[in-house]
Amino acid sequence: MRSLNLHLKVLITLLVGLGILITAYQIFILGIPVTEDETDDLWNIDAKVEFQANPREPVKLQMFVPPLKQDYVSLNESFISNNYGVSINRADGNRKVTWSARRASGKQTLYYRLVLTKRYSGEQSKAKGPIFRDSIPVEGAEKIAAEALLAPIRQHSADVETFISETIKRVNNSNDDNVKLLLGGDTTTASKAKAIELLLSIAHVPMERVHTIRLASDIQQSPELWMRSFNGEKWLYFHLETGEQGLPADRLVWWIGDGDLVSLEGGKQAQVNFSLNNSEMNAIRLAKLTDENTDAGFLEYSLYGLPLSTQNTFQIMVVIPVGVMLILILRNLGGLQTLGTFTPVLIALAFRETQLGFGIILFTVITTLGLSLRSYLEHLKLQMLPRLSVVLTFVVVLIAVISLLSHKLGLERGLSVALFPMVILTMTIERLSITWEERGGGHAFKVALGTLVAATLAHLLMSVPELVYFVFTFPAVLMIMVGFMLAMGRYRGYRLTELFRFKAFLKD
Amino acid sequence: MLGLWKTWKALEAKGIMGINRRNADYVLKYNKRHLYPIVDDKIITKERAIEAGIHVPEMYGVISTEKEIDKLHEIIGGRTDFVIKPAQGAGGDGILVIADRFEERYKTVSGKIISHEEIEHQISSILTGLYSLGGHRDRALIEYRVTPDQIFKSISYEGVPDIRIIVLKGYPVMAMLRLPTRQSGGKANLHQGAIGVGVDLATGVTLSGTWLNNKIKKHPDTTNAVDGVQLPNWHGFMKLAAGCYELCGLGYIGVDMVLDQEKGPLILELNARPGLNIQIANDCGLTHRAHAVEARLAELEAKGVQEDAEERVRFTQELFGHAHPAER
Repeated sequence: MRSLNLHLKVLITLLVGLGILITAYQIFILGIPVTEDETDDLWNIDAKVEFQANPREPVKLQMFVPPLKQDYVSLNESFISNNYGVSINRADGNRKVTWSARRASGKQTLYYRLVLTKRYSGEQSKAKGPIFRDSIPVEGAEKIAAEALLAPIRQHSADVETFISETIKRVNNSNDDNVKLLLGGDTTTASKAKAIELLLSIAHVPMERVHTIRLASDIQQSPELWMRSFNGEKWLYFHLETGEQGLPADRLVWWIGDGDLVSLEGGKQAQVNFSLNNSEMNAIRLAKLTDENTDAGFLEYSLYGLPLSTQNTFQIMVVIPVGVMLILILRNLGGLQTLGTFTPVLIALAFRETQLGFGIILFTVITTLGLSLRSYLEHLKLQMLPRLSVVLTFVVVLIAVISLLSHKLGLERGLSVALFPMVILTMTIERLSITWEERGGGHAFKVALGTLVAATLAHLLMSVPELVYFVFTFPAVLMIMVGFMLAMGRYRGYRLTELFRFKAFLKD
Repeated sequence: MLGLWKTWKALEAKGIMGINRRNADYVLKYNKRHLYPIVDDKIITKERAIEAGIHVPEMYGVISTEKEIDKLHEIIGGRTDFVIKPAQGAGGDGILVIADRFEERYKTVSGKIISHEEIEHQISSILTGLYSLGGHRDRALIEYRVTPDQIFKSISYEGVPDIRIIVLKGYPVMAMLRLPTRQSGGKANLHQGAIGVGVDLATGVTLSGTWLNNKIKKHPDTTNAVDGVQLPNWHGFMKLAAGCYELCGLGYIGVDMVLDQEKGPLILELNARPGLNIQIANDCGLTHRAHAVEARLAELEAKGVQEDAEERVRFTQELFGHAHPAER
């Protein structure tokens, strides 16, 4: 007996542990949303390229597109162009799309569309970058100005990060004469970047230009210039105006380096317009989409891998154990008397089709009438099979009458009685009447009421959408439930009703 | 909430056994499922009992097919009183008790006159499974009619009072006398409204009773006191009950017995899931007694000895009998 108990304990621990582990893995590692209502942003980025093609000349247009090795996952990418060949090549961590055509004339429009989301990105590869560079040679006044600027920067900085942000701050101080000299009257970001690069290069700090797009809908924008530098561990991103470090979450790196966004041969006046909009998408559906676009096949072997119609059936099926567990608790802990274990769950399932209120009325009416018919048949001393057949036929007729009446009265509810509830009704009547004979009417009434209460509770529990979603998405929860049921299998304590039943012991 | 917890603790201290404990620790542990037919089918029980030399109401005959109904005359012979029962009936349904013959007809205990054809129809109904659990085909059993001992007349309403003893691995642990009431319709089942009266294991003297989960002292129909009645031949009952373990192999059973005027204690039937109200009737929990028996069994097993029915009865009578000086 002791070894059996140990066996059981080990089994329960194993099941519960495994269930918790798998569920935790799904939630925290795979990031599967815990509720169905969770939504994620989905970004639609359109880059519209317009240019004037030179007549009788081959056209070749190259444009940078996002490298896709970021926190974002691309769900869909398309290149819309008529009569153009499209190819994509990668270089220096950038991606470039090349549109080419033998002949084109007049105004040309090409589209690039990217759909991406922040979630479910795969593992980040380890960052690598240069930590040393040669100085850009400077002479004369510029050299003196640069050195004059660098002296206080060195003084005020401790490491690469502070050095760079200090440099950016200095360069943005337009009252400084040294800065004025370096910028040469040009205060655009590009010119500032150039000055910063010069200053950093003297200190042998490498930098790269980063061109970013802000994920914000319905604003006119063009790529914003940022810079980044590798500090030996990771890339540090800097805003060129404020010197703030770190790329905001809504910044998407479009390309890196000194190159222009578009380079065009055989045309002129190339212009790129960005338009962004976002939509929200159900997180789990999105996860499925990303799943198809990344290597992470974590939903492949979940219930979401099933065809949609099968999924719907399973959504009902996976909550049946939840209902059974409720009945188990009500019976073994509460002491509620029901007709068997599964009849209440089956009735609860039938309530799905009839709706709760109507279902309860229907069950009460039909069961009462069915029972009275059966007690009448009792007097005729019929054998069991013919008796059961009569009851079944009676139930069918009764349901037909109710459906007809409610239809005539304009209540569509009555028609909701399907095949399934009918079989359950007949079974309930038969079992209830057996209980009636064996243990008397009072007991049968108690059992019927208990069954109805248990079925109602089970139905309410089983139709909580959050619960259905949770169990369906994290089926390992069922293992935890089995663990609980196993533990209940050796529960020896009193049932709630027994505390009242045995009250007589406490009277003295 | 706190009150419930107190109730829980108090019941636990008294060793009251709940359904969950009964099922987990006793019924599931000691009663092998494949042995259930022995107690569920009264004919098999009877055959086993006869083999083991245990007293049961004499079986006159068994009818298992429609064709055999013709043999009814033969089975009854010249007897004036007999009982027809379904072998797998429950709750006393379908039982026909013939007390006398009248001309060519029969007279039931309640005084109703019925014809031979009506009896045949009753048997036919039994065979089709009208009274059996789940409606299985059944067999009809024709047996000796028990005449309850006069001692019960004063405290019983009608019907046949019986004695239920809970037997754990052959050790009788608790006993009660079940008295039918007007409400129970002459049946001796407690949940149908019969009275349970605790019985001292050592002496066979009745204690207070239980009726519908309450403690009572008087029979509600006859208003006679139910306690303090000395049951005759008590040692015979105890020995009979203890012997049932060898008979059926089930480790936790309720043995139902009657006291016949002439034949003494007889076994009526065995129950593999005996109810728990016997605890209220005895004002005592089953758990402590069961643990004592289990401890004794473990002790005996260590020694490698087995006790026979007589020794087992003596053990429990000494330990659980109220008259025992240690408990006074």
